[in-house]
Amino acid sequence: MGENIETIIEVKNVKKIYHMGHERICALNDVNFTILKGEFCCLLGTSGSGKSTLLNLMAGIEKASGGQIIIKGKNISKMSENNLAKFRQRYLGFVFQSYNLMNSMTALENVEFPLVFKKVPAKRRKKLARDMLIKVGLASRLKHKPKEMSGGQQQRVGIARAFVANPQIVFADEPTGNLDTKTTMEVMDLIKDMAKANHQTIVMVTHDPRLASYADKIIHILDGNIQSVEVLHDITKPEEQTAAPLESEQKEKKEVTEGKEKETVSIEKEKMKEEERI
Amino acid sequence: MRISDLIIMGLRNLSRRKARTALTVVGMVIGTISIVVMVSIGIGMNETFTKSVMENGSMTIISIYKDSYVENENGNYQSIEQKMNDALVEQIKDIEHVDAVTPIYNKYVQLTSGKYQSGMELIAMDCAAMPKFGFPELKEGEYPTAENNQIILIGAEAMRDFYYFSGRTVKQKTIELGKDKVSFTFQEYQVNEKKKPVTVTLNNYALFAETQDYRYNYCSYIDLEYFKSLYTKYAATLKAEDRKKALASLENYEEIRINVDNMKNVMDVQKTIEAMGYKCESDMQYLNSMLETSNMLQMVLGAIGLVAMLVSAINIANTMVMSIYERTKEIGIMKVLGCYIRDIKKLFLFESGMIGLIGGTLGIGCSYLASYYINKYGGNLLSSIMPGGGYYTEEGAKFSQIPIWLPLAATLFAIVVGVLAGYIPARRATKISAIEAMKTDG
Repeated sequence: MGENIETIIEVKNVKKIYHMGHERICALNDVNFTILKGEFCCLLGTSGSGKSTLLNLMAGIEKASGGQIIIKGKNISKMSENNLAKFRQRYLGFVFQSYNLMNSMTALENVEFPLVFKKVPAKRRKKLARDMLIKVGLASRLKHKPKEMSGGQQQRVGIARAFVANPQIVFADEPTGNLDTKTTMEVMDLIKDMAKANHQTIVMVTHDPRLASYADKIIHILDGNIQSVEVLHDITKPEEQTAAPLESEQKEKKEVTEGKEKETVSIEKEKMKEEERI
Repeated sequence: MRISDLIIMGLRNLSRRKARTALTVVGMVIGTISIVVMVSIGIGMNETFTKSVMENGSMTIISIYKDSYVENENGNYQSIEQKMNDALVEQIKDIEHVDAVTPIYNKYVQLTSGKYQSGMELIAMDCAAMPKFGFPELKEGEYPTAENNQIILIGAEAMRDFYYFSGRTVKQKTIELGKDKVSFTFQEYQVNEKKKPVTVTLNNYALFAETQDYRYNYCSYIDLEYFKSLYTKYAATLKAEDRKKALASLENYEEIRINVDNMKNVMDVQKTIEAMGYKCESDMQYLNSMLETSNMLQMVLGAIGLVAMLVSAINIANTMVMSIYERTKEIGIMKVLGCYIRDIKKLFLFESGMIGLIGGTLGIGCSYLASYYINKYGGNLLSSIMPGGGYYTEEGAKFSQIPIWLPLAATLFAIVVGVLAGYIPARRATKISAIEAMKTDG
């Protein structure tokens, strides 16, 4: 199993600078990391840390000021608008905090929407969309418009839409930001289950450390820099080992870039421990 | 996106904002009506008097008359006598675009059939030129030729109204040629009592079919050479004094009639002849000045229509810009979901073009209705603004005519206007940044 694992997203020296009048704001400063195929990766950081910007860059919605983002072996920062659109159709799905559904369309039509751009014939499109909505538990809501549904239901529609084209990567920007705790858990489970079932890669942005625990890998971001990368489950290793208890005891910090002094110390300590173990 | 999906989506977007779409469409309808109706009135006017002038004569004929007039220094018209001979005829023949030239004599003759009498205008012209002057069709007989020049062409109505005056009663009769014997005599001078008057019996004749052109219905045409020989014989029967006058009248032609190869060249030929020092007349010169006025009028009307169309184009552009503001978020979502930019553009162009198409089609329908009512009730108003002050219009004339190309052209124009008006908004839509778009409400 381990041999099949490949890198799907590679972020190399990525920079993003915004120009606000005469001021230059550095949102991302030389960021490097990789995400493996089938991994559930979480970008964790406070607001303004640059995590959403990073997601937008990876999704090709924004252009990086420097560096490379390679997805499936293609440098998306150099793609034309047209190729990007095609790329999104084929490989990417999106889940948003504010759902971003088309208010004029029913749940079914919303889920169909990405398939419309992919030129899927209407019959097949409807069937795929209906199946997807049934999977997310909205079988009774096919004909409802977003405004007639609760937040949780709307987000389920959003998830169905993200997964309907069976993309290899799904980007989720604070998918539970507008939901209550109970619904949050349901939605998170749904995303995770869907992704695992089809061996899809999830890149999720959140500020909530509790949600990060759903992930296989957590990338901590602060002020445009990667603080640390934390692997909760190493998906390259067999099931039994990765299914062990979570949280602090299991933490392995692999990489440190420009950390603050305190943390560097703690990380060094941990590294020592690691070495001892080995 | 598939074309079918694009169309469905565009139509849905239009129907989502029914009131706004409807109002924009109404704007387009008004624009289309004004263009179509204005153009149709222009066409109708031109047709109306081209037709009526046509009925009163042929458009390619120029005449030089012996008795003409010139405007003198005081601005008064002064009658003059123009001397015309064979030399002039030859000279005119050499002018470019001249198709046929013939000298003409014009005499009034008396017709006699038994006790019944009538009068007729006898026009003598070169028999070789006859077929070139747009004569009506021959109902019976043939044109005279150089070899057989004794055939006389007779107007369809010339044999009507023969009268027999006996005491106090007057009898009227229509002569049937072939059945009744008819002859004519020249009337200009008193015949010398000692001589036998020249009487020509109408045996060898051809009949014109009936026509609306006054020039042919009551006249008869005769070959020039045949006429000369007849008239010379007639002159021989006159008293010495009259004989001289009669023979002298043969020296100068009464008219030279010219046929030009094309309507367009009539004015040029006329100018050339006037440069030679002869006054000449044609129907074309009257029609020309009227056509100029009418073209002017047509342009003014068209401009009014265009202004209305421009307003509706701005209206469409405005609607599309509003629509983009409203749908900023949707556009952002579409972009993120992988919609091609060209599809977004196409969607907006389709919507604006659709407004044009619907507006144009409805506008055409309304135009036909408007045209109908203009023809029914607007005649007096329109004939008063027409050049010629309605002189050239007749009862039941169509002042607004919609030829088949007009609705097609207008619909196409409406669609083009719609698409052009939607182009800038559509381009704007494609430039919307996806993240910015998704942050907006709606």
